[in-house]
Amino acid sequence: MENIANIFVRSIFVDNMIFAFFLGMCSYIAVSKTVKTALGLGIAVIFVLGVTLPVNYLLNKYLLTSGCLTWISPGLAEVDLSFLSFIIFIAVIASITQLVEMIVEKFAPALYSSLGIFLPLIAVNCAILGGSLFMQERGYANLGEATSFALGSGVGWCLAIVGIAAIREKLKYSNVPAPLRGIGITFIITGLMGIAFMSFMGIKL
Amino acid sequence: MEEKEPMFSAKILKLFTNPINKDNPITVLMLGICSALAVTVKLEPAMVMALSVTIVTGFSSCILSSIRNTIPNRIRIIVQLVVVAALVILVDQILRAFAYDVSKQLSVFVGLIITNCIIMGRIEAFALGNRPWPSLIDGLGNGAGYGLILIVVAFFRELFGSGTLFGLQVIPESWYIGNGGFYENNGLFILPPMALIVVGLIIWIQRSFNKQLIEK
Amino acid sequence: MNKDSNTYTFIYASILVIVVAAALATAALVLKKPQEKNIEIEKKLNILASVSKDTGLSEAKSKNDFVESAYDKYIVDSFIVDGAGNKQDGDAFLIDMTEEYNKIKTVIKANEDEKERLRAELRLPVFVCEEDNGALKYIIPVRGMGLWGPIWGYLSLNDDFDTIFGAVFDHKGETPGLGAEIAEKAFAQQFIGKKIFTGQTFVSVKLMKGGAPKNDPHAVDAISGGTITSNGVSDMLRDCLDQYNAFFIKMKTQH
Repeated sequence: MENIANIFVRSIFVDNMIFAFFLGMCSYIAVSKTVKTALGLGIAVIFVLGVTLPVNYLLNKYLLTSGCLTWISPGLAEVDLSFLSFIIFIAVIASITQLVEMIVEKFAPALYSSLGIFLPLIAVNCAILGGSLFMQERGYANLGEATSFALGSGVGWCLAIVGIAAIREKLKYSNVPAPLRGIGITFIITGLMGIAFMSFMGIKL
Repeated sequence: MEEKEPMFSAKILKLFTNPINKDNPITVLMLGICSALAVTVKLEPAMVMALSVTIVTGFSSCILSSIRNTIPNRIRIIVQLVVVAALVILVDQILRAFAYDVSKQLSVFVGLIITNCIIMGRIEAFALGNRPWPSLIDGLGNGAGYGLILIVVAFFRELFGSGTLFGLQVIPESWYIGNGGFYENNGLFILPPMALIVVGLIIWIQRSFNKQLIEK
Repeated sequence: MNKDSNTYTFIYASILVIVVAAALATAALVLKKPQEKNIEIEKKLNILASVSKDTGLSEAKSKNDFVESAYDKYIVDSFIVDGAGNKQDGDAFLIDMTEEYNKIKTVIKANEDEKERLRAELRLPVFVCEEDNGALKYIIPVRGMGLWGPIWGYLSLNDDFDTIFGAVFDHKGETPGLGAEIAEKAFAQQFIGKKIFTGQTFVSVKLMKGGAPKNDPHAVDAISGGTITSNGVSDMLRDCLDQYNAFFIKMKTQH
């Protein structure tokens, strides 16, 4: 249990998707002009990560890892499908976002109008695929750990984008050198935020 | 009947050179920053990453452009993803077989080429409306423009962060404080935040020379 | 042909999947051999490095040939022991240390009665290197966790099963310039000549923050700025070597 909480906190502050791995930077920069939209996208990312990562975890464990097909029949112990993992992960992500979009549209139109526009964007958000690839690489022990990693990374990403959006709202009133305006200063501020987040390094619960 | 163009007309060459500076995917179009800054600590992995992205962008544009008239509209995005993912898997497998050390350093970031926005962006914006040959050049050009930024960032980070280039010592050993000199590697350059700051500075310099790119 | 009809979409998707799957499966099959070879060579190189038999690699024409021939020449034996120090059947080279490390973690957490039983289930590899002068060195793999991910290494012991003859460490993704320094030769060389026992009691070797006392045979300098990784290395050595304790004691008394 302490392990799950530890993974959750670490993936928010220490292994932050944006500050430590630069994942999901495109939408991070494109959709961080106002806090409201940033929050919407952030919540959508938490949601999609929280759904796709456990699914990919199960697929990885029971389908892709070398010699893991023995649960179907012992004769399949030699089969190694791990080379298919990229394609399976991205297909799962693309179809789940599509599915989520349809479900939300049908059953929660209010939510759809605020969140729905972001869902198609998310299929190609590196943070989502990155989450699945990190899960595979780090080899989390069980579904609970994987889910807590997914939610933690999502929250971390959301925190980062809301933070930068808040700063950019204020930044409109600052006198930034002309060539640096827009994405230039956004990059530099993200770097500074990253340095601030580094003080969380080594956190352990 | 379309008019036949020479293989390397001025127009075609422009497709290649524009993305390197004026339409640079990272600094101007803001595409594809995500997946690869993490590999800019050293030049060697950055070069390999740049090359891999260029190859994947070029070939995915070319392949999808040649089948563009047959793709059913409803599964367009999935078809694109499948082709890109297949190419990335190929690149990953080849790296693992023939450049094992580099592939270890790149770890998950090879896989993340799939979601690199440049690739999907160029397919949607260019390849689906143009013939295979220009699409290939456009893809290669955008990959190269992207790779250029990676390599520049990696150059500064490796030089100031480790005092080496391609793993070879370039800052004289005698300069270091440990050997009685005055110099010390700047550890900050190795850490992730510095990659972002270096990109910010590159944008600053590029836009100072290219006034029409300045945002209002 | 109507491009938007269900049949067309369905057939198109099926053909695409078959073509892509066939291409990828072929590539994976063709490239599997060199990929596995790379992993094997790296492991052999690490084992050789722990007994300093990797010198000359930079001049060697072919990395693979160099590693293979050096490995065949120096690594004369390898075997598996369990946590009680008894030899077990099997190929030591094929033992997956990730799996054993997970088992070791459960051993450490278990209470005293359980420990005995769990230890007997461990399958710990030992590689034996014969020097040119006939002296035998015993190579022990170790594995643990650093700041970002797994760290691992190989430790070679003299045949007194106490003095460290050499060491090599590696890591998955420690911070470059900080934790990643454990992979440097200079760091590993500190371990040479250190002792893991005081008399008959196992004490391991610790990384000391701020520098180890000069005459302490059980301490080396930690990495400045890499506290978590340094602690990870200390824990890794203590936890993994402790499992070999019974084997060490057995061998010591035989001598």
